[in-house]
Amino acid sequence: MHVPLLIIGGGLSGLAAALRFARFLPDVLLLEKHSRTGGLNSYYYRNNRLFETGLHAITNYAPPKVKNAPLNRLLRQLKIKRKELDLHQQNQSEIHFSNRESLLFSNDFSLFDSEISNKFPQSHQGFQNLLQIINSYDPFKPLAFISARKVIQEQLNDELLTDMLLCPLMYYGSSIENDMDLGQFVIMFRAIFLEGMFRPGGTIKDLLDLLLNHYKEHGGSIRTNTGVSKILYTGKTIHGVELENGEEITCNYILSTIGSEETFDLLDQPSEMELLPRLGFVENIFEIRPETVFSHSQDRTIIFYNTADKFSYRQPDQLVDFSSGVICMPQNFQDLPAAPFKEVRTTHLANYNQWKKLANDSSSYKIAKENTALSSLPVAEKILGNFSRNIVYRDTFTPLTIERFTGKKKGAIYGNPIKIKDGNIGYDNLFLAGTDQGFLGIVGSMLSGVSIINQHILPRL
Amino acid sequence: MTRDSIKDLILEIIEDIDEDADFDTLQADKPLRDQLDLDSMDFLDIVMELRKRHKLQIPEEDYPELASLDSCVNYLEPLLANA
Repeated sequence: MHVPLLIIGGGLSGLAAALRFARFLPDVLLLEKHSRTGGLNSYYYRNNRLFETGLHAITNYAPPKVKNAPLNRLLRQLKIKRKELDLHQQNQSEIHFSNRESLLFSNDFSLFDSEISNKFPQSHQGFQNLLQIINSYDPFKPLAFISARKVIQEQLNDELLTDMLLCPLMYYGSSIENDMDLGQFVIMFRAIFLEGMFRPGGTIKDLLDLLLNHYKEHGGSIRTNTGVSKILYTGKTIHGVELENGEEITCNYILSTIGSEETFDLLDQPSEMELLPRLGFVENIFEIRPETVFSHSQDRTIIFYNTADKFSYRQPDQLVDFSSGVICMPQNFQDLPAAPFKEVRTTHLANYNQWKKLANDSSSYKIAKENTALSSLPVAEKILGNFSRNIVYRDTFTPLTIERFTGKKKGAIYGNPIKIKDGNIGYDNLFLAGTDQGFLGIVGSMLSGVSIINQHILPRL
Repeated sequence: MTRDSIKDLILEIIEDIDEDADFDTLQADKPLRDQLDLDSMDFLDIVMELRKRHKLQIPEEDYPELASLDSCVNYLEPLLANA
């Protein structure tokens, strides 16, 4: 079999790239190793219902008329109508540093601005200066690493506020420990604070089905349960792939969305990239009775919290670090249809190697998973009030669960700390899109797929 | 194709990219991108639509020829002579 374009990985960047290409040339084949599409943002069935994985909120909200906003550019590129998505904006979210300070924010930036001016009056002018830097910065220019922490601290001159600004941006997209690249910070700041968060009215499955249906209408093909075992090439030119079932498919171009190291594995080449720690995470889902009322923060969409004296975003020495993390209440978006359940989701940093050690002994692994949920619960209850009696079902994903279902090495949801912004990994007709290209979040990863197709493949095929 | 029908074709493609595009004040000799708020990603759609509809393969180095409505017509006229 021969196809002009082969896309490896049916996550959101692969799906968006495939749809973008198929709009003009239907000869594209998308390969997904798992039985379902979505990658990090997918779903599974338990307890007679669908559970989403990954998705808390989609960043980069934009009203319809803002033509250059990433969300609207993406919809134009894929020819998807806004109303097909049924967008619901967040209520409001919070950065909660226990016993220190709390900052509220929403899709109306003036809330965040006034919170900072009320609670950190001495840093308010510095915050305005920082905003100017953010507004005029071009994050897509290829530059060496610039420490965002240093730039923020210089402007704000307040370590607590610097940590509070960094906390949500790190948890929603940093693959680097305790700092971010300034470009990445600017992208994330715009995506979360200046643009804001939303979710579709349906489930992630509805969004994935929408993309797949459009893709198939244009004539694109997809194979699920189809892993690639190697990429075939001579020198710097790719010829095709060999599938895990032994079949060979030849092609003119490959777009790989599975990660840089993961792609080098298929090439059987060392990546020659510096080895930095890959950050792993655990996620707990607590399904609770719909009538549950929280005594605090009832309407919050996302709470980014820290209970430690000093906020630390790094791989913990132990299995899980509960001292900081994310609490998400996916029912708290505006005007969502009533659902027969509520959820509290919690995310914390985890140590992949510690989990891996346990994996050989299934009973200790199970106990550790159980303890993860039981240790996360009081942390969430301290912020929200007690809800444990109302839990009807719970589940926990470890870095091993994430690795197994998404193929992301070490369960590192934000991938390699080193990003390859132009998608070029040194081959003539093989390009990289998705997490390791450096655009993060659902809108970002989809735009990544689209832009690499536009830059490197569409004009040449 | 006549010059007028090429012009209509381009406008039709642009309208398909952005249904809110405002043609009333469009100046044919000025860059389309600035006037219609199109970015380079949108611009590629014009190239790809021409290919899809008229099997026209426009090489990357010729993309600047499509900058304004007038230059589009000048560039496409010989290519679409028999269309």
